[in-house]
Amino acid sequence: MSHGSIIKVPFGPQHPALKEPENFLFEVDGEIVVDVKPRIGYNHRGIEKAFELRTYIQNIYLAERICGICSDAHTTCYTQAIEELLGVEAPPRARYIRVIIAELERIQSHALWVGIAAHEIGFDTLFMYVWRDRETVLDLFEMISGNRIHYAMNTIGGVRRDIHAAMVSKIKKGLDFLEKRLRYYLNAVQTEQTILKRAAGVGILKPKDAVDLCAVGPTSRASGIKNDVRADDPYAAYDEIPFHVIARDGCDVLTRILVRCEEMLESLEIISYALDRMPEGIVRVKAPVKVPQGEVVSRVEAPRGELIHYAKSNGTTKPERYKVRSPTLGNIPALCKMLLGGYVADIPIVLAGIDPCFACMDRMAFVDVKKNKEWNWTMQQLRRKYAKK
Amino acid sequence: MEKENEIVEKLKNFLKRNLVRTTVPKERRIFVYIKKDALRHAVKYLAKDLKFKHLSTITGVDLGGEIEVIYHLAYKGSIVLSIRVTVSEKNPSVPTITDLIPGAVLYEREVHDLFGVKFEGHPDLSPLLLPEEWPQGVYPLRKEHELEHLREMTSKK
Repeated sequence: MSHGSIIKVPFGPQHPALKEPENFLFEVDGEIVVDVKPRIGYNHRGIEKAFELRTYIQNIYLAERICGICSDAHTTCYTQAIEELLGVEAPPRARYIRVIIAELERIQSHALWVGIAAHEIGFDTLFMYVWRDRETVLDLFEMISGNRIHYAMNTIGGVRRDIHAAMVSKIKKGLDFLEKRLRYYLNAVQTEQTILKRAAGVGILKPKDAVDLCAVGPTSRASGIKNDVRADDPYAAYDEIPFHVIARDGCDVLTRILVRCEEMLESLEIISYALDRMPEGIVRVKAPVKVPQGEVVSRVEAPRGELIHYAKSNGTTKPERYKVRSPTLGNIPALCKMLLGGYVADIPIVLAGIDPCFACMDRMAFVDVKKNKEWNWTMQQLRRKYAKK
Repeated sequence: MEKENEIVEKLKNFLKRNLVRTTVPKERRIFVYIKKDALRHAVKYLAKDLKFKHLSTITGVDLGGEIEVIYHLAYKGSIVLSIRVTVSEKNPSVPTITDLIPGAVLYEREVHDLFGVKFEGHPDLSPLLLPEEWPQGVYPLRKEHELEHLREMTSKK
């Protein structure tokens, strides 16, 4: 139903709580979104240029800091790229530890996301429960690496810390607890009306669109596309560990929640399997500082989807070119598709649906197309105006 | 590596003289160098006939005097084929592939922002990553720009 006036509503660009500020310019006709223009880059830090100016060792630390949630995915991608250029192979035990850390990371990242999704639909009880349980994983990280985030486990040639026998039993205890909780949440997601009413049938991404727009990770798997780098292009020890690629064909936000919940349960299985079958031995080998000329494409299934790094070396201690494409960028075109034709009220949950760590509204600018006038409101002004109503 | 070599053979037969060089460094990785004019032809063939439907990303590389544009395409999520063309730094332009692979829309804008490669026929090449006040014609990932130089340029207000 058109009322003849299309209003532009910018969303974003920045919010300190989220790691990846994005700005979207929405054109809305009444309550319906008719056009979306993404304008990203508000937190563009020039990391690719910074890679060229640092040594390969320094770049491990830089890669760790590309992302605050999936830091391990980036260092895994980075170190395996440089290892390939050097012709060095991480020892078998290190490859298993990489899997364990990666899956623990997937659980904490997905749990964080389920909490955010719950928050976006106004279900803050679930948000707090999930985040409380997520602490279990963070505590395990602290035990293994000394850090709750930025665990800094990877290095060129292996991992920096071993997982000892005493840790294994503690990890297993944590996994048992998480399994109970995750099964509870999986059930809650499928039966709780608060979630069903807000998530079912919202933010549709058809399988064909998911393929055409090159969507990645849980976003595409919730549209029935079974792509997962762990299975398709195995790295670390994934070729030795049996696991299921979770895919469902609901194509909506609810399915994205379900896929991530099931993936967390699958991660528990993977960790448990890897802990039982970790080969004995060293966890790292020495790697040279200078990297011979070459180029490499490295891929990892980060919690949010396919992560791809491209490295070109020139025989010195610093890379000639280093390219990073994080999964969120890969999912932005698909996200725009999901938002089109949807309600303004569903924008937050659909945006959150791809797990972008998107920027909440700090301020909004209202543009009146006809009068060609533009003004900004702070969140406080908005609250003052509407809180009374 | 059977599948990889089969793909390379098919590409050789299809592109003939437009194919410059191919390497298969390891399982599931293929690098292909082609002539610029054959880009759309090649991408269309790869996407439609050889099922390389997924574009992982597009990378720009400054070779000094020339800019290389690399398209990382994936076959069933598994084999990554990096097809590349080089363009001159003075007037870098390549045809867009957004009509063949709609997912390329932001990747092309990213390379345009950071390397100044013009993607002919792209629906909207407005800045994606760089701020509005960014000086025109400065492409930060080109080697000619030292970090200090970029800092000076952007801190001036």
